[in-house]
Amino acid sequence: MFSFWPYLNPVLWYHRWYGPAMDQRLLQLLDLLDVSDGETVGTSVRLPLALRDAAVLAAEMGLANSTTDLTVRGLRDHLEAVAQRAVLDAHYRRHPQVRPDLAEIAQVAAEMEGNPLAHRPELIRRAASEIRLLCEDPTPDEVLLYAAGLAAAA
Amino acid sequence: MNRARTAVLDNEAIQALSDVCHRKHRRALAALEVVAARNLGKAGSVRLVVPTAVRVEAGWDRRRRDAGLINRFPAEDAGLDSGSADRAAGIRIALDVSVADAHIGAVIEDARRPVAVLTSDAAGLRRIAAHLGVAVNAVVV
Repeated sequence: MFSFWPYLNPVLWYHRWYGPAMDQRLLQLLDLLDVSDGETVGTSVRLPLALRDAAVLAAEMGLANSTTDLTVRGLRDHLEAVAQRAVLDAHYRRHPQVRPDLAEIAQVAAEMEGNPLAHRPELIRRAASEIRLLCEDPTPDEVLLYAAGLAAAA
Repeated sequence: MNRARTAVLDNEAIQALSDVCHRKHRRALAALEVVAARNLGKAGSVRLVVPTAVRVEAGWDRRRRDAGLINRFPAEDAGLDSGSADRAAGIRIALDVSVADAHIGAVIEDARRPVAVLTSDAAGLRRIAAHLGVAVNAVVV
């Protein structure tokens, strides 16, 4: 059955339309993101009125820089996020054996946040295994929550 | 929850990322997975930072086309401007560490916190962090 879902989600859309030329396009995207002091251009962007007014107010209150700065930063952050995901996926397409599993990612996530569970790798591995029976495509954070539950129950 | 808002790479972490055959390549990728997942959930929530002195030490030339796409993973260069050079010099003199490690110290001192550092030298990192009075989570690669 035809599903609109991949077309609504840019990451899924990217996977569906991935082809040999995409690495080249991705490199082009990364090149453009690497340009930090390039020339600027005026462009017309339609913003929700309330959002624009909120940005103006935040700037007046000293809580944020200009609307332009907020827009540029938001755009860059979003593009970098999707590019990070795309680079990893491209790497795994070439080297599928190096893709870390859920437990490995959850372990590093625990270490990055100083979570005490980082010292219980066996618990994280068990949580990563068991949580798959309970939910589809669990995140590393969900694994750590499950592992915390296991630790509390022990 | 104490999610890292800045992740810093040291020399060994870059070596592990750059080489598919490196024994810690998967572990380094796991760290990038965490960064990518957090940023995909909320754009800009984790900055991946590479001090430029570390990049020089590791020989990481991001322009090299033969190095593989993973070397182009979006990351932020933390350069040595006047202020950070002063801070790094102070750390180098106080602790007798390498230029690259001193630059890491200058970066973590100025970074959005909490900070996580992917490093092969957790003890050295903790020494620098203690000197600066900054809490840092070391992820050993």
